[in-house]
Amino acid sequence: MDLTLILAMLGEGFLVSLQIFILTLLGSLPLGLLVAFGRMSRIKPLSWLVQIYISIMRGTPLMLQLMVVYYLPYFGFGISISDNYRFIATIIAFVINYAAYFAEIYRSGIQSIPHGQYEAAGVLGYSRSQTFIFIVFLQVVKRILPAVTNEVITLVKDTSLSFVLSVPEMFTTAKAIAAAQKSMIAFAVAGVFYYVFNAIVAFIMNRVEKIMDYYHD
Amino acid sequence: MTDIVRGSEDISCVSAATNAVSTGAVSVANGANNTTSLLPQEKSLVKLTHIQKSYGNVCVLQSISLHINAGEVVAIIGPSGSGKSTLLRCATLLETFQSGTLAYGDLVVAKNDAHGHAIYAPKSVLKEAKSRFGLVFQSFNLFPHCSVLHNVTDAAIRVQKRNRDEVMTQAHALLAKMGLSGKEKMVPCELSGGQQQRVAIARALALNPSILFFDEPTSALDPELTRDVLKVIRDLAAENMTMAIVTHEMSFARDVADRIIFMEAGVIVEQGTASELINNPQHMRTKTFLSHYA
Repeated sequence: MDLTLILAMLGEGFLVSLQIFILTLLGSLPLGLLVAFGRMSRIKPLSWLVQIYISIMRGTPLMLQLMVVYYLPYFGFGISISDNYRFIATIIAFVINYAAYFAEIYRSGIQSIPHGQYEAAGVLGYSRSQTFIFIVFLQVVKRILPAVTNEVITLVKDTSLSFVLSVPEMFTTAKAIAAAQKSMIAFAVAGVFYYVFNAIVAFIMNRVEKIMDYYHD
Repeated sequence: MTDIVRGSEDISCVSAATNAVSTGAVSVANGANNTTSLLPQEKSLVKLTHIQKSYGNVCVLQSISLHINAGEVVAIIGPSGSGKSTLLRCATLLETFQSGTLAYGDLVVAKNDAHGHAIYAPKSVLKEAKSRFGLVFQSFNLFPHCSVLHNVTDAAIRVQKRNRDEVMTQAHALLAKMGLSGKEKMVPCELSGGQQQRVAIARALALNPSILFFDEPTSALDPELTRDVLKVIRDLAAENMTMAIVTHEMSFARDVADRIIFMEAGVIVEQGTASELINNPQHMRTKTFLSHYA
């Protein structure tokens, strides 16, 4: 098998990895904000429940969570699972896992906003939701960008974990090629793919940080 | 008098409050007489009556009454921890008090129930009240991610839902008055502290409040920047803007204020016209406090 074929196969796998990456971000970034609100809620039982959720998500391996989400419908409830559930289960597991991490990042950002901002907004008559949307949120984004970049880069590499559900993403493909070829070339090529993709992610996030650099507080 | 006021610190909140009523009543009544004689026809814009506030067991305001008339400039002085800022924060709804009455003109924000506990009006009334006052903070509290112009105009457009063009015109005029023309597009971190505070004043004025509160507006500024901010407040006083200013700038208070209030340990120890209080304080405690500024 020549390098072009390997590249073509891995490229196809990469598209699946990219889908996992994008769908996970689209799901977990908004969900994480909701989870952060739950975590900070004055309704104690809700806050406790969310804390338990976060602690489970952070305290167990993502690979195990992938397996649980995939097998639970069948072993837990006797629902037969179709083949395309592999991909859906992967997205669900990634979203709920990353939402927990993002929630804690949002919380750190929200709690770092000086109290005076809320007081000024209150005196000017902004409602609580207006205060959050128009005054607090953008400041939170600026403060959490470095931490979010870290998570996003980790996510790029974590997509490879979905090989346990045999989702045909890049790492699964690389493993298959390596086994068939008895060679490490596919792994090396996949490594370059991950590295280049992360370099692009880091570059974009860096640009976003630069854009937010127009003010400091 | 001084002894009684000082002694009240050791007593529990309730008895201290009764104490304050009996001792404070003299000064409050005096103050009321003074202001009626000064401004006979004026109607009070803000009425704080028998405000009592405590944090846990610590009583910070002991049955304080303060009425501010239209066009009046009131300076509130006193040592740290005397409750000056708390009084301002109660008036601006940043803190709630346990007992007493607060009204902005005919709008009653909080009043006592039969048991003497303050009951606050529903949210809609509080929102209406917020459009009647403005507050300038010691630490400015501008929105750092917004331009100067956006800081000044956003609440008027978003909260008061006023016409955008009208608000913009007003904002440019206000900024010009504050000596900040040409700074509209800058963000707060590009301005000096004194400029930031003047933006904060413009932001408060943009909502057309009937009274402006200042909580130590120059305490975070060096003397040079302080001068610029005080000049703006002086100009506002000359335009008959109603203001209540918590300050440590004694000479400024004497020049600008129609009435000075000296607070300590949660009570109004003494109040009177600027010259009365500063040149001829009646109470030992006021004399001691003012002697530090001589």
